[in-house]
Amino acid sequence: MPQSKTPIRLVLVDDHRMFRSGVKAELDESMVIVGEAADVDAAIVVVARTRPDVVLLDVHLPGGNGNGGSDVITGSGGVTAESGELVRFLALSVSDAAEDVIAVIRAGARGYVTKTINAQDLTDAIRRVAEGDAVFSPRLAGFVLDAFGAAAGEVAMIDEELDRLSAREREVMRLIARGYQYKEVAKELFISIKTVETHVSSVLRKLQLSSRHELTAWAVGRHLL
Amino acid sequence: MDRVPTPYELPQPVVRPGEHRPVRRLERPVQGRRLGGVCAGLAEHLGLNVRHVRLAFILSCFAGGAGVVAYVFLWALTPQSLVTTQVAGADVVAASRPANESVRNLMIGLALLVVGGMLLAQQHGVNLRLGVLIPLLTVAGGAVLAWSKLDDAERGRWLVGDMGPGGRRAGLVRLGIGIALASIGAVVLATQGRGLAGLWDVGIPALAVLAGAALIAAPWGVRLWGDLRAEQAQRIRETERADIAAHLHDSVLQTLALIQRQSGDPAEVVRLARAQERELRGWLYAGPLGSQASLASAATEVAHEVEDLHGIPIELVVTGDRALDAGGTVLVRALREALLNAVRHGAPPVSVYVEVGSVSVEAFVRDHGPGFDLEDVPQDRLGVRESILGRMSRHGGSATVRRLEHGTEVSLSLPVTATPDAVAQPDTEGTR
Repeated sequence: MPQSKTPIRLVLVDDHRMFRSGVKAELDESMVIVGEAADVDAAIVVVARTRPDVVLLDVHLPGGNGNGGSDVITGSGGVTAESGELVRFLALSVSDAAEDVIAVIRAGARGYVTKTINAQDLTDAIRRVAEGDAVFSPRLAGFVLDAFGAAAGEVAMIDEELDRLSAREREVMRLIARGYQYKEVAKELFISIKTVETHVSSVLRKLQLSSRHELTAWAVGRHLL
Repeated sequence: MDRVPTPYELPQPVVRPGEHRPVRRLERPVQGRRLGGVCAGLAEHLGLNVRHVRLAFILSCFAGGAGVVAYVFLWALTPQSLVTTQVAGADVVAASRPANESVRNLMIGLALLVVGGMLLAQQHGVNLRLGVLIPLLTVAGGAVLAWSKLDDAERGRWLVGDMGPGGRRAGLVRLGIGIALASIGAVVLATQGRGLAGLWDVGIPALAVLAGAALIAAPWGVRLWGDLRAEQAQRIRETERADIAAHLHDSVLQTLALIQRQSGDPAEVVRLARAQERELRGWLYAGPLGSQASLASAATEVAHEVEDLHGIPIELVVTGDRALDAGGTVLVRALREALLNAVRHGAPPVSVYVEVGSVSVEAFVRDHGPGFDLEDVPQDRLGVRESILGRMSRHGGSATVRRLEHGTEVSLSLPVTATPDAVAQPDTEGTR
């Protein structure tokens, strides 16, 4: 993993102060927290003012239109970081409820991790999102496989098809669901880490853009464990 | 949180001889009654001898039927006692359940006797004014029929609607017939037998009065209805809140207390927190995973069990689901064995991925320990060789153990169609 020269500028959005201070204590010096917010409206103001690289975003937040983290992402549309890139969002949640996760991903979050994640994994995830890649937890990968019918053997013939995963994407998702790190996935499939990241980003794009009806039905009718 | 004492904790009034007797609520006892239990209840309430009360009622019946009217009203308005009470001076044995039957027969006999007597009297030229008497009797009959619906401790059930559909329908029919009888009787009585033509003369002024009264009472009624609704909503909210509070008390608060007590043991704290998290999650998001006979729920259960046993968190992902058949049971048992191996000999994090596809079921157990090669495992180690590899191959599936750079991965695979019969080949070997 290439280490960034300049520290990643981070905004923490979570309505639990204890959790914010916990994250602050865990992060190393490669990241600097430039702002914090406890609700949707404060978060939009802070993001627009500080223009961070990454926003660590709780899925459940008070305020806004009542949609929690999704409202922050839509409210911060078009805000760019100091590097000129769009501000990127990494969703954090304790709930694992599929409708929450899918809503925040489809609103534009670049990844999703659970709050039980350890410090090293969280640092990796933030760095990956800052570099423009997607972050999938095993559970999110399992959800994608289920929602796209890939677990049942449905595979897209062409990569551009939005409603299905390609065979390669399915393989990558399966390995992530099995608890493999990106570099282990790369080794297993004899591809580069960059290619793995490309596949994951492509799956994220499909997750955000697909109109596959099972996706919504699944998310409403079931919860991620 | 304040606790409401359970009924058996409520202080019981103790009556000592010589002390003043506590005044009982007026209610009709089930035991020791002759007809509806009115006399017995009244005697109990007033502290009189039940025989005297009965005699008074019988005597007052001859005073223009006042006793009958009083009896019927008291019977309709007095609640039946829910507890069986000893009635002073009453023959308890004679009045248990079968007595109800005999009372009914007695009533029918009495009614027939009265009708026969009336017919006889009419024939001997006594004017009983049947034009008034028959409608009156109809009204009384209808009222008894309708009110008896509310008798026999059915009051509560009737209001709650807890009866079976059949019982409820029968009750409604009874109520309907009763009301119809009473109204017909009232109409005939009011029109003095002039038929429907007379009904208009009487009915329209009556309706006008009723409408006026309704108009005046309407705002008050509406407000009362609104208050009632608000009170109901409030009560429902309070019940829900009490449920949630009770659940949190039983689960989260208990666990927090345990964690405080065991704060010196990090492994135990993690295990407690993990188990509590799972429990709370299950309670909040009780979804389709709750069905017990599915492969996904069985796998989840096994993972939780191993997690509780060893206090090592297991990251579980399940996609797809199907009914739990013999093959599924075999897979879940092998999965349990693989998990036990991973938490015993491997290192966390332990990940499980179960994929239920249309042609096969696959399960992967991955840990981050030093790993081992299958060739290095001694032949007598039953855990891996028998419980995992042997079990899977016997049931038409396959299992592989792979050593990765960091850790070990056990893969289990079972074709969905080629599942041998469970009865022919029971899975009986031990779990080690």
